[in-house]
Amino acid sequence: MADKPTFREEIAGVLHASTGNPLDVCMQCGTCSATCPVASGGFMDNSPRRIIAMINAGLKERVLKSNTYWYCASCYHCTVRCPRGIDIAELMYGLKRYTVWHAKTQEGMIGPVFSETFVKMIVRTGRSYEPVLATSYLFTLGVPEMIQEAQTATSLMLKGRLPLLPARIKRLDNFKKVLKRIIPLGDPDE
Amino acid sequence: MKKYAYFPGCSLEKMAQSYHHSSIETMRKLDVELEELEDWNCCGATAYFHVDELLAYTLCARNLAQAEKQKLDVVAPCSGCYKNMFSTRAHLQHEPALADHINYALEADNLKFTGSSAVRHLIEVFVQDIGLDAVKAKVTQPLKGLRVAPYYGCQILRPRKADEDVEQAHYFEDLMAAIGATPVDFELKLRCCGGALIITNRKAALSLVRNLLDNAAKVGSQVIATACPLCQVNLECYQKLVNQEFGTNFNMPVLYFTQLIGLAFGLPPKQLGIGTELVSAESVVCLARSKPS
Amino acid sequence: MSKAKQLLIIDDDVDYVDGIKAILTRAGYEVAAAYNPKSGMELLKSKPWDLFLLDVMMGRGAEGIMMARQIGKDPKLRETPLLIITGIREQIAFLFPGEPVHPHFVANDELMEKPVDPKLLLERVAALLKASEAKKAKAK
Repeated sequence: MADKPTFREEIAGVLHASTGNPLDVCMQCGTCSATCPVASGGFMDNSPRRIIAMINAGLKERVLKSNTYWYCASCYHCTVRCPRGIDIAELMYGLKRYTVWHAKTQEGMIGPVFSETFVKMIVRTGRSYEPVLATSYLFTLGVPEMIQEAQTATSLMLKGRLPLLPARIKRLDNFKKVLKRIIPLGDPDE
Repeated sequence: MKKYAYFPGCSLEKMAQSYHHSSIETMRKLDVELEELEDWNCCGATAYFHVDELLAYTLCARNLAQAEKQKLDVVAPCSGCYKNMFSTRAHLQHEPALADHINYALEADNLKFTGSSAVRHLIEVFVQDIGLDAVKAKVTQPLKGLRVAPYYGCQILRPRKADEDVEQAHYFEDLMAAIGATPVDFELKLRCCGGALIITNRKAALSLVRNLLDNAAKVGSQVIATACPLCQVNLECYQKLVNQEFGTNFNMPVLYFTQLIGLAFGLPPKQLGIGTELVSAESVVCLARSKPS
Repeated sequence: MSKAKQLLIIDDDVDYVDGIKAILTRAGYEVAAAYNPKSGMELLKSKPWDLFLLDVMMGRGAEGIMMARQIGKDPKLRETPLLIITGIREQIAFLFPGEPVHPHFVANDELMEKPVDPKLLLERVAALLKASEAKKAKAK
């Protein structure tokens, strides 16, 4: 009978079940944090090294309040350099999933909203469409950012680089049936 | 004639259509046919992995199964699409129970994944499958004197590939040298452009882009060559915002490596989608055209 | 009743498992728990069970569905009644609005949504066990 899991075990359980991703082998060398371009720019409230230490120490609430994983750009530089073989970028994905499923994402973060909009769009059409993505997060931006975004979009439009209509795949009905076999929930058309 | 199942990905339909055109045109010159993958769907980008990894694998597996049906290896010009399909194939081959479950879902679209189609990034096709000698043989207008910063970015090389030292890549430089250009020693060539953070965490991404532009400019680059639409858009389309944000004055053209190869092959710039940049690439075109061999 | 019925619950939500375990234990069942799909799969096969309670969103995604299907394909496991209890409607509500679709991978199964009413849970468990007993008796 499995004992009640620690927070570390809970998070390990969200990661690749088959290959494993042992967080307890972390020796706190800090290679990940030094490698991470976002952490070294001072944008993360807790560096990757610190997040692993916090997970191992069971500081659940503080980990779930951290912005670290929503600032991960998935560049995998930490992963390839970790001397202990921890897949740190995958850990960040795991933490994002954990917060999305447990409705623990923080107010004001664009990352979760963007992911949700993106996923929803592909479920419906099979392909992504930049203008829809743009409008979904635009309102969460400040006024200067909104103007910046509009300027960039206008320049791209003038160069013919923004699509006017979303693309759809042909076998969309089958596609939706495929997805429903993985996530047996509702009807994506509703 | 060599043939691949070509997976353009969502960006190449519009935002990065110059990458699309230049890929098709340069490949044609090299007698390689890119047959578009039938009814392909989005690779899931990074967003799907935030929500459900099985769903993310399913999206990629549908594309892979479709390529198997066409009996072709898949080639992706976008590093993000490439990484997703490459690692999905690896995960499914590694875990039969997972493959079995995904195949149960794919049955609903009369498809089946077996792993028989390999996944290639477009730049690998040039460097490994076609080879530098064959590329060199087609060069009519070597880009003599053009100082190029070869920008690998992240997901062509990472996560770790078993048979490759991902920190010591040199093939992009070799490819640029093969078309007569001078690859500069671009120290940050493996560093991240910020990817989707340009949307979700703008300030962080802009600072990463600034670092890259700064490094490329310092070593005297005249153009940055990219192999990924996300890198291209971040480095080029957001360059103006970088200048606004940091008070810098960058004016660095950013072209796809296929556009540079196309110029060296003597293809007309328009056919390669040159002219749709927000940072003009006129200087690069002039240099390429001024010294015909 | 000779021996207490052996129930296995596989769910990644630690607090939720605590609650369900308490309800079922008080009703006289013996309850074991696994908190991720991997150890769940190992425990499933480790000995005979009288009933499985299974979550949907676990591990990398909807692995509960993947497990239910594996149970359905295994001749040793598929006779065990299965109660799927999911909070999927809320967990990824933004994706597909609407009701969870019940995937029938084993003959004797039920689907319930979280939060569960303790009384209803006990009724469902009892009904599934009863149906399983009846089937066994008939086979003899």
